[in-house]
Amino acid sequence: MSGRPSQEVRASWLRSALTWGRPDAAPLVYTALDLRDRPDNPDHRFDLTVEAGTAVVAIGDEDSGVSDLGGYALGLKRPIAGKVEVFGAPVGAMPHYDLLLFRRRIGYHPVGDGLLQNLSLRDNVALPLRFASDHRLAEVDDRVAALVEDFRLRAVATHRPAAANEEDRRRAAIARALALDPDLVVLEAPFDGLTGRAAQDLLDKVRRRDDGSRRAVFVTAQDLVPSVRRMMDRVIKVVDGAAVEENP
Amino acid sequence: MTAVVAAIGHSGARRLSVLGGLARFALGTFRAASRLTRAGRWVTLRVLVNQVRFTALQAIGLVTFLAAILSFLVISQAMRTLASVGSTDYIGTVVVVAIVRELGPLLTALIVVSRSGTAIAAEMATNRVMGEVTALEAMGIDPYIYLVLPRMLGAIISVGALMILFDGVALTSGYFAAALNGMHFSRYLDIVLATLSAKDVWLTLGKGLVFGSAVALFPSYHGLAVKAGPTEIPQAVTRGVVATIVAVFVSSAFFVVVASG
Repeated sequence: MSGRPSQEVRASWLRSALTWGRPDAAPLVYTALDLRDRPDNPDHRFDLTVEAGTAVVAIGDEDSGVSDLGGYALGLKRPIAGKVEVFGAPVGAMPHYDLLLFRRRIGYHPVGDGLLQNLSLRDNVALPLRFASDHRLAEVDDRVAALVEDFRLRAVATHRPAAANEEDRRRAAIARALALDPDLVVLEAPFDGLTGRAAQDLLDKVRRRDDGSRRAVFVTAQDLVPSVRRMMDRVIKVVDGAAVEENP
Repeated sequence: MTAVVAAIGHSGARRLSVLGGLARFALGTFRAASRLTRAGRWVTLRVLVNQVRFTALQAIGLVTFLAAILSFLVISQAMRTLASVGSTDYIGTVVVVAIVRELGPLLTALIVVSRSGTAIAAEMATNRVMGEVTALEAMGIDPYIYLVLPRMLGAIISVGALMILFDGVALTSGYFAAALNGMHFSRYLDIVLATLSAKDVWLTLGKGLVFGSAVALFPSYHGLAVKAGPTEIPQAVTRGVVATIVAVFVSSAFFVVVASG
């Protein structure tokens, strides 16, 4: 993909946030997490490591606590027990502003799509590049044009989310999550309401980094169609608050 | 008795907590300015220009109309009263002290609160309820930078500019009222200019800064404080607007104390 963002980090305040974590650490580690708001069984704790370059899905019912895993990874929510580490950094213990900057290393797709309703799909994709990176406007425009093309959004790029269909909104939201070419992407129910073919196409784009390598992807969902499931390296079922490995 | 004291203490503590929250909010907004990215500066500038368009340009007609009517009424009444005691020279004091120094800034701030303060509070509350603020934070974008900073700068510029417009229209309209009561233009101009001082310029600039900040900060704070859902949006708008009006009147009184000191 052209318009790849420069790896150079110019601003000192952004550099300070990159001091968190370790280069050799796994992208995402959940340790002894209590997912059920009922700390009645200490054996049923959630443990999971998402290794670099792998795609992992955690599947569970609505009340299984699986929908909280994305928020824990981003530090948007705090678990009542257990620890979450992203690139070796304890997200629950980071100061507010460091955590804000640290999140720029993680691509995130929240439940729904989290698109800003008063911006066009193109401006939504441009948002992290404009406000969470130190690129020049021309660099931002190049990158956004490349993402719009790659995610087949050209025809609807100027539409606001309310005027676009569900698949285009989802494409825009995922393009936005990948705008800074993050090392780790966390997707909450990203394929709900999409056809198997569209979901496969999106997952394929999510897995590929700009340099051709594979990025770490963590998906949470209530269910996954078999064709997408087969693309995952690991499938985890959340049962009674614990992680149970299943065949992809 | 204990219950009464406890209720007073509880209410006082709650208000202090809101004040503390507001102070943190204002500080966060000022600090955000130093964290703007290169591309973010341009986008913020675009949002700021839009904010000035909505807040100042679209309010020009209303401000002009109200300034003309208010000044005409006040000066007409004052001229008749002062003429009956042979003191029409004091019309300059009425124009400068009552209209330019006090009523102009107050009414301008109230007009902007009623038009833009409500819009800012409703927009922020909707952003919060729709999960857009969380989405910004998840992307590593400081909501202060994206949402609050351009609106605050836009409101400061707009309120300051509208105050100057209000004063200009009020002085012009005041002349027509004075002329209808037999005062010549050069006499009116001499009296007004003799009463105006550099202090009035500084006071107008100071009030533009303080009232403009209040018009954006209070509605933003109360809008972003929404937690429960859409039903809380009208309450947040009301809280934001009422708090801004109180803040504008209190700071206006503070300016009187400072100016007379």
